[in-house]
Amino acid sequence: MCPETSDGAKGPHLLTAAPESRAKRGTRPFLSALSDSRFSGRAAGPVLSFLILFFLFSLALLPMSLTGIDPITQHAKLVLAPPLTPGHVLGCDFLGRDLWSRLVTGSLISLTVGVSVGILSTTIGCLWGIVSGFLGHPWDPVMMRTLEIWYALPEILIATILMLVLGHGLMAVIIALSIGGWMGVARVLRSETLRLRDAVFMDAARALGVSPVRLVIRHFLPNVLPVILVMFLFRIPGGILGESTLSFLGLGLAPPAASWGVLVNEGWKALPVSAFMLLWPAGFIVLSLVSFQVLADRLAKHLGVSR
Amino acid sequence: MTRLVRRLFSSVVLLWAVFTLTFLLTRFAPGNPFAQGRHLPPDVMANLLKVYHLDRPLWVQYALTLRQTLAGDWGTSYKATGIPVSEIIRQTLPVSLTLGILAFGASLVLGMVTGLLIGIGPRRIAPAFRYATTLLVGLPSFLLAAVLIDLLGLRLGIFPVALWEGWQSTVLPVLALSIAPAGYLARVFAASMEETKESPFYRTAVAKGITPLRRILFHLVLPSLNAVLALVGPLAAAFLTGSFVVETVFAIPGMGRVFVLSVMNRDYPLIMGTTLVYTLFLTVAIIIGDLLQESADPRVRSL
Repeated sequence: MCPETSDGAKGPHLLTAAPESRAKRGTRPFLSALSDSRFSGRAAGPVLSFLILFFLFSLALLPMSLTGIDPITQHAKLVLAPPLTPGHVLGCDFLGRDLWSRLVTGSLISLTVGVSVGILSTTIGCLWGIVSGFLGHPWDPVMMRTLEIWYALPEILIATILMLVLGHGLMAVIIALSIGGWMGVARVLRSETLRLRDAVFMDAARALGVSPVRLVIRHFLPNVLPVILVMFLFRIPGGILGESTLSFLGLGLAPPAASWGVLVNEGWKALPVSAFMLLWPAGFIVLSLVSFQVLADRLAKHLGVSR
Repeated sequence: MTRLVRRLFSSVVLLWAVFTLTFLLTRFAPGNPFAQGRHLPPDVMANLLKVYHLDRPLWVQYALTLRQTLAGDWGTSYKATGIPVSEIIRQTLPVSLTLGILAFGASLVLGMVTGLLIGIGPRRIAPAFRYATTLLVGLPSFLLAAVLIDLLGLRLGIFPVALWEGWQSTVLPVLALSIAPAGYLARVFAASMEETKESPFYRTAVAKGITPLRRILFHLVLPSLNAVLALVGPLAAAFLTGSFVVETVFAIPGMGRVFVLSVMNRDYPLIMGTTLVYTLFLTVAIIIGDLLQESADPRVRSL
């Protein structure tokens, strides 16, 4: 147990702190958020979300979940085949391509985009926020003004215009969405930095002559890690939603890449003849978005992070 | 007052930054806006580039475009040849604004009512609404639009599924645009009421035993509205992004559709014009939101 947890910093509160608020401080392992008996009544949502995400990720990552059917091979006889057609569980699309295998490859692409956007935008946001917070007076106002100015623009607007230059590849989508959506993270991290920068334990470490690098890594980062984790978890559905919106509009990934967004785009066009082409990818998108959201909310509550 | 001046100044900076960035991005974008799907003779191409000043050095183009933009001349569209950008915007902006204002009103009403139900509704119903809002926040607008079209448009045939003619055609787009923000608003409003319930003045009001209506209206709802006012800016952004999707889906001749098409067509003057209008609109929304928030709760001024 480090002496510099916030419990130590706010000594008097220890006497009055109710069990709940100690849980909010949260030094317990993250996963225990799921099985915490005190929340057992409310844990059903998070547990279900976790299972759904586990399913989606294993679908994306395990090669055996591929049905052995090539997702871009067209079967002329099976155009718009309904679900439960032998060999094609979810049916086929308007070109006779197997929807299940397209959905599985789509999972890989969409989740890759989501997680990558999460990592990249959280990293940019953390760097900006922490640097701004630590640098203090001459730089902090300048960096915050810049941030505020960018914050006014919606993610999709920035991403769309960036895509003009970046093209329509996977990396392009990831970079465009990350540059479009790091500002919220930076804002939160900066206020966290300002809160902790002059905390007693930081002063104590400084007084002991700890080097700045060690100060940040050993004393500062562990204390903002919960916030960073929660922000990261909130950014992943943002990335998935951003990708699917861009692809739906025809501005993101282009076919034959089959992300969930591209599949929804195709399904949308085929809606008059078959609802299934839209239903499957749409269901996956909603499931993943809601699951990430619920899990992130739960984690935020468990770790005592308020957005 | 100084705050307002500073705000206005930073809006000008934002407009300039967006102008510069859009200019640079469009000029560095790979591909030629005039050679999409067709081959033009070299002299025709040279003429086209000359007409639009694309053969000049970059900084000359920049200065020229900036001066023209400031003077109100936003150039002519590359794709819809000869039609000025300002004319296209003049025709499509009212449609988008109507859609946006209707959606804003709808989401405000829906969100506040749902928020109230979560906050002070019967114990049996409140959780259901809470879960519903979680689901709604994760529901992309294009899916909502698809469901609405399929259910209310095609199956029941109550509302037209596309275009922008008569009030009936506004119902589905407005719903598609406003339901997700309404869910978000409800969540924020409910959370804010939850917070207000903890405050000393609310507990005092309960202890005093004033009538429930007065207590709820003046001691719970009114103080909790600040959190809703803080959402004006984000909501504007949400409606803007939503309008890209909804206008495309419902084939509404609004600015969102023009923007998406202009990006697809690499129609640089049109991209520039729509982006600048959007930026202006967003900064105005944010300033209005800030002013409302400040007048409602002077404490935010010190932040």
